[in-house]
Amino acid sequence: MSFITSYCSISVDSCFVNGKLFLSDKNNAEKDLLKSLFKNLQIDYPKFYKMDALCKAAFVGTELMRKQLTSINYYRDDDIALIFSNKNSSADTDIKFHNSYTSEALPSPALFVYTLPNILMGEIAIRNQWYGENLFFIAPDFNADFFENYIRIMLEKNSKACLCGWVDVLENNVDAFLFFVEQSDSSKLNLPLTSKILANLYKEKNN
Amino acid sequence: MTVYITGIGIVSAIGLNVEENFNALKYHSSGIEPIKYLAINKEILAGEVKLSDEELISKYKIKTSIISRTTLLGIAAAREAWKNNEHSKDIRTGLISASSVGGMDRTEKYFKHKHERADADITMLSTHDTGNTTTMIATELGFSGYVNTLSTACSSSANSLMLGARMIEQNKLDRVLVGGTDALTAFTINGFNSLMIYDKEWCKPFDENRNGLNLGEGSAFLVLENEKSIHKTKNTPYCSLSGWANASDAYHQTASSPDGKGATSAMHQAIDKAKIFANDIDYVNAHVTGTKNNDSSESAALINVFGKNIPAFSSTKSFTGHTLAAAGAIEAVYSVLAIKHNVIFPNLNFHQEISETKLKPNDRFSIDQKINVVLSNSFGFGGNNSSLIFKR
Amino acid sequence: MESLKEDLKKQIINQLNLEDVKPSDINDDAPLFGDGLGLDSIDALELIVLLEKYHGIKITDPEKGKHIFVSINSMADYIVNSKK
Repeated sequence: MSFITSYCSISVDSCFVNGKLFLSDKNNAEKDLLKSLFKNLQIDYPKFYKMDALCKAAFVGTELMRKQLTSINYYRDDDIALIFSNKNSSADTDIKFHNSYTSEALPSPALFVYTLPNILMGEIAIRNQWYGENLFFIAPDFNADFFENYIRIMLEKNSKACLCGWVDVLENNVDAFLFFVEQSDSSKLNLPLTSKILANLYKEKNN
Repeated sequence: MTVYITGIGIVSAIGLNVEENFNALKYHSSGIEPIKYLAINKEILAGEVKLSDEELISKYKIKTSIISRTTLLGIAAAREAWKNNEHSKDIRTGLISASSVGGMDRTEKYFKHKHERADADITMLSTHDTGNTTTMIATELGFSGYVNTLSTACSSSANSLMLGARMIEQNKLDRVLVGGTDALTAFTINGFNSLMIYDKEWCKPFDENRNGLNLGEGSAFLVLENEKSIHKTKNTPYCSLSGWANASDAYHQTASSPDGKGATSAMHQAIDKAKIFANDIDYVNAHVTGTKNNDSSESAALINVFGKNIPAFSSTKSFTGHTLAAAGAIEAVYSVLAIKHNVIFPNLNFHQEISETKLKPNDRFSIDQKINVVLSNSFGFGGNNSSLIFKR
Repeated sequence: MESLKEDLKKQIINQLNLEDVKPSDINDDAPLFGDGLGLDSIDALELIVLLEKYHGIKITDPEKGKHIFVSINSMADYIVNSKK
């Protein structure tokens, strides 16, 4: 049996951690919730500002969960599998990079390095020095059955825990839902890993 | 469970089939030339497949014009690998194709048209995603079961082989056509140019004065089968795919770690998986592209794994250019050919050893030793590192 | 020269997304790389784009950047000398 021991959802104007509102920017004062979240975390990692929005969303989501759930930090460097998915791949940055070499005729290296969605997992791996399994799937929608199934396979093999997420960004729309799965309920959230519970947590976020 | 390789197909800058590729390697004949087919306002060297889209459509008798160059190249290589194999309900058969740019070539044309006139044909965008390429190859060859697309930058098609082998090992499939395809695009050329790792001259892998890569395009596919499948198809194996591994580098978005941590780990794990010793390896087809960073990192990793006894090694990217998602499969085909013909391929444009590592690649077409085991490396952006081992 | 340095600082902050840095935080002779602003290899490439975008200077050899991007002073000197 495995458990969802932490989860976090981020939209363009609000962020919830374990179902509780963490930060909201409904009045749109900051105009950049991801940046506000990062500042709120008070960590020294200037590389954050260089990331594209897709990586920023995954990065702050992961950091928020790490803050809530100390058990994440006690795994060995290849124990945690990263399993991510989204609909629009890196299209948000692809479009910006395309503009940089067509309209401006000055292709931007800082944009080019983010024209692959799996860089998101690279950023998390670099930040935490994690060397475990990592997979990024492109799918039309958040697929709870798929995640449940794949996490089971990972945990049966060499991984001890899974950091998972649906992180989709396109033209100012952010749809991120990250969750951490462990083999024991270290946080006592009482959320066994089932596709039904996962689907509900994801849906909850969109209401 | 042995994973046999029974079919190979390839299209690259040095030839439209296996035979042409082998001969070009034999005669030190690089396919990297001034760009001719891709519409781009840059004078650069690249490994283009020497046919226009129209010529490809006509040569391969393709019935639609709504098709990307990536897919055209993929169909050509997949057909050669698949040959006269037939589908049968007794053999569970799959297709895994890798690509990094997909139909980007047509998407670029669409935006150019759209910019110039209002009536640009939006159906041109229907070929954009990498899945479209796989679906079209599947339709062309009649695949209807397990069909999957992989995209992990420059290790993509090495990972197709790895996933295919694992599907066979786990008894989910009996036979699987695996490979990858990528066409040259302005997107990738501008990208590598912006990183300032695109050499204006011919790339010089493993050379002290290397100054970047040349991009290339192409495709390669291989047929993997288990014992049960071979019993029915009566195909003769070239060799087996006996080891594979993928490891993360956790260092930088695009650069490889100076100590080659991920690359070392991938090679070690692949060697363990193949149940061989490092010194059983007769030839290493390196990933090495000709960039400062990549070549140093892989050299360090080779030393980590082999110590002082590094087997003969070379980078064939000096022939094909770096074909991104197709590179792993193209070099897998070369690895199979190395075993089949007992040859080692030359590394072109090598003059001087890298001062820190002092490694000297094989710089001629060698025919004087038995090649039983080949290691092929493919390392990609995002720290995605894969190693494959082929065994007679 | 002073206004060029001031512009450069703004351009660098903008081009490299140096979020919490103000122009007054950057000393003219402080190193830009290493411990200074914590810039990396991609930032060096973005600085090459910056020179072309704002100053019309094209650099084709990234190795050259190592000598140009030492500090604000060295960048400003390079720009002034290039325009002579």
